[in-house]
Amino acid sequence: MNTIQRKTLADGVSFSGVQDSRFKTMRLSASIITPLSADTASENALLCGMLSRSCKQYPDFTALSKKLESLYGAELSASVRKAGDNQVLTISAAGIDDRYTLDGESVTKELSELLCSVIFEPNLADGAFVESEVEQERRQLLDVLDSEFNEKRTYANAQLIKNMCKDEVFGIKRYGTAEKINAATPRSLYQTWQRLLKTAVFEILYIGDSAPDKAEAVFAAAFKGIEREPAMAQTEIVRTAGEPKHITEEIDVAQSKLVMGFRAGTALPDKEVYATALMCAILGGTANSKLFCNVREKQSLCYYCGSRYDKVKGLVIIDSGVEGENIEKLEAGVLKEIEDMKNGVITDFEISATKMAIINSYQTSNDTVGGIESWYASQFFDSSFKTIAEMSAIINAVTKEEIVAAANRLALDTVYVLKNR
Amino acid sequence: MNTTIKEVTSARAGDSYFQIKHRSGLNIYVYPKEGYRSAYAIIGAKYGSVNTCFSCDGGEKITVPDGIAHYLEHKLFESAEGDAFTRYAETGASANAYTSFEKTCYLFSCTDKFDESFEILLDFVQDPYFTAQTVAKEQGIIGQEIKMYDDSPDWRVMFNMLENMYHNHPVKIDIAGTVESIAEITAEKLYQCYNTFYNLNNMVLCVAGNVTVEQVLKTCDRMLHESEPHEVRSYFENEPYEIVEPYVEQSFPVSMPIFNFGFKEKADRLFNERELAQVEILLSALASPTSALYRELLDNNLINNTFSYELFEGPGYCSVIFGGESRAPKQAAETIKRYITAAKENGISDEDFEIAKKGVYGDVISSLNSVGSIANMIADYHFNGNELFTYIDAVAAAEKADVLNRLSQMLDVNNCTLSVVKSGDNA
Repeated sequence: MNTIQRKTLADGVSFSGVQDSRFKTMRLSASIITPLSADTASENALLCGMLSRSCKQYPDFTALSKKLESLYGAELSASVRKAGDNQVLTISAAGIDDRYTLDGESVTKELSELLCSVIFEPNLADGAFVESEVEQERRQLLDVLDSEFNEKRTYANAQLIKNMCKDEVFGIKRYGTAEKINAATPRSLYQTWQRLLKTAVFEILYIGDSAPDKAEAVFAAAFKGIEREPAMAQTEIVRTAGEPKHITEEIDVAQSKLVMGFRAGTALPDKEVYATALMCAILGGTANSKLFCNVREKQSLCYYCGSRYDKVKGLVIIDSGVEGENIEKLEAGVLKEIEDMKNGVITDFEISATKMAIINSYQTSNDTVGGIESWYASQFFDSSFKTIAEMSAIINAVTKEEIVAAANRLALDTVYVLKNR
Repeated sequence: MNTTIKEVTSARAGDSYFQIKHRSGLNIYVYPKEGYRSAYAIIGAKYGSVNTCFSCDGGEKITVPDGIAHYLEHKLFESAEGDAFTRYAETGASANAYTSFEKTCYLFSCTDKFDESFEILLDFVQDPYFTAQTVAKEQGIIGQEIKMYDDSPDWRVMFNMLENMYHNHPVKIDIAGTVESIAEITAEKLYQCYNTFYNLNNMVLCVAGNVTVEQVLKTCDRMLHESEPHEVRSYFENEPYEIVEPYVEQSFPVSMPIFNFGFKEKADRLFNERELAQVEILLSALASPTSALYRELLDNNLINNTFSYELFEGPGYCSVIFGGESRAPKQAAETIKRYITAAKENGISDEDFEIAKKGVYGDVISSLNSVGSIANMIADYHFNGNELFTYIDAVAAAEKADVLNRLSQMLDVNNCTLSVVKSGDNA
């Protein structure tokens, strides 16, 4: 596996480089990490979109798109996610490696400079963003909020979190609210940009064939002279649950959705997170998991029923699509599998097969640029970067007793059902 | 028959692969990737949801229930001894399968124990086991898969469009069929389809990543049962050139309306590599984010960044589909038509052509990073009678005049249909 070189460019600004000649593309991303808050989430998300659609040098969307397309279809993309009580705004640039251009152009150098300029030299006029650009981005972000309801699985999962974490910071949506998006102005976005340059934590990640030093130098120069007071939020971990809450919503759907939210009782940086991750995969993470084999294959209740673990926030979420009349049967079926795990009904084969499946997915991720990026990006909130070999060793060392203990920490908090009216 | 091996090289891509006609009848492609830890193997039959009426070796014409190819895909994982997923659990491989309009594919990826996983794949695909009981068990699972898609506005908007585009062609029928049609599926019908289409001469195997030709052939030589080639004929009713209806709308619980706007194209044969390159460059120049069309659609609030386009072709069907979220789909469609008409009259600029060409070239080079995308692409090209590296060269060699000539033969603004899914409240 490749090694990652990590350096500090400024207070709270890290640059990590992975040099790898196997790929036909390079990728450079800047993740801007800032505490999630109802006051700023919408403006931050809007700003992230603004930065990726134009800059001083390419002052509108078409000019920037043409520049990217002429760099052999290079991409500049923006994404917003939540990681516990922090909001992560990522702007990425990706393009083909210099070795494959038709006329010997250097895509890597141009893209590094371009990513830097969209972050540090946006398209401004009189201490504000350009109004028409703001309006366009605002409309598109409002569309994104609205489109969540289109896909009922996405919507049901979002409703679970909204209800389960309504009194926690984590209950805030990654894009905030329509009200706050509407309240943003060209001037307030400028202030948001200035605030983030000063207070956000920056993780810059480069993966490519060329040495990372050029990209690093571009960012090091950009941060010179910027006053820094970086801050990140400590995620609030709720470790137990009271009496489970049941929420049912009725709309016109062909298939009902069942989403169950559990408190996992453990989150980063606890060392128990690995046992919980393995427990969660045995329960519903593979095509040999307890949920797949029993509620799908044996009982034929559903097409999908999976579980996933958010180790930053300490939640286990199980979701499925089911016939309305079978909702209770499915819920009981899921709880029975968890009860079994709590009582130690787990075979050695289930454990070893799931360990192998997890390690296979780790190792496979190292064979794509996106996989390598995700591998490290998922560890921004860990104490240090672990290699695949190190993480595999940790998973392999988890014992059955630790898995059973992890299952016994699961506490059902909220059950959300979306059913046909 | 002996096994024959040919090496295919691309100087542009800096890669090469091996094309093999195995003595068993199977077409095999092996694409080693140096420095990769993982390998990806996919075996596919040229058999998809559209093959519902067929004959074998001049026998009688058989019509089978809609959705049976997909049903067969689910059931092939089972054998008398158990299911393939349990066997894969012992190797750590990540396995899956899918059925599309024109093919059915089974795949896995792994980093260790490739030979063991590969053996499982070749074994279960050649070993059908269908009983009344195992067939019945799947009704509930696939029934829920169908209902999941019934709630998907993206899926609905596409099939509504295809229904308004095709009078007769089965591409307009949902890949998984309906709850009613799958109720007619029996073990006997599954065997009938299996024996017709899962002949190794009608199949392709692609392996990419951390493997060698020798390694792949060793297992193939041992595992593959020789298949006598037989003649499979699929029947499609005559399909008129014209669309059925120009507009369809469905009320749906959505908060963002979505649309598919499709141009029906001639489909007497599939595009070759040069034509494909021309179409991709043409569509990029016309409708990618760099285009004047995209800009006008955005400025008039007619689309957002979900807007996309694609060439959608297979046996007996071909169309170009534009789609995405829009609060004013009719205006978006009118704008698209206007730009197509203008391009037909005035051509496209040299700058737009060059930019589009570089973009399409970069996309295909980028796709050679992932062993999964390589193996899937090669399977697609094989079934369509094309070759991947020839396509890359065709993109690099494309001329504007050829692209304009292609435009003159397609995107007929009098033969297109708009499908919209929106909330009943604002209908």
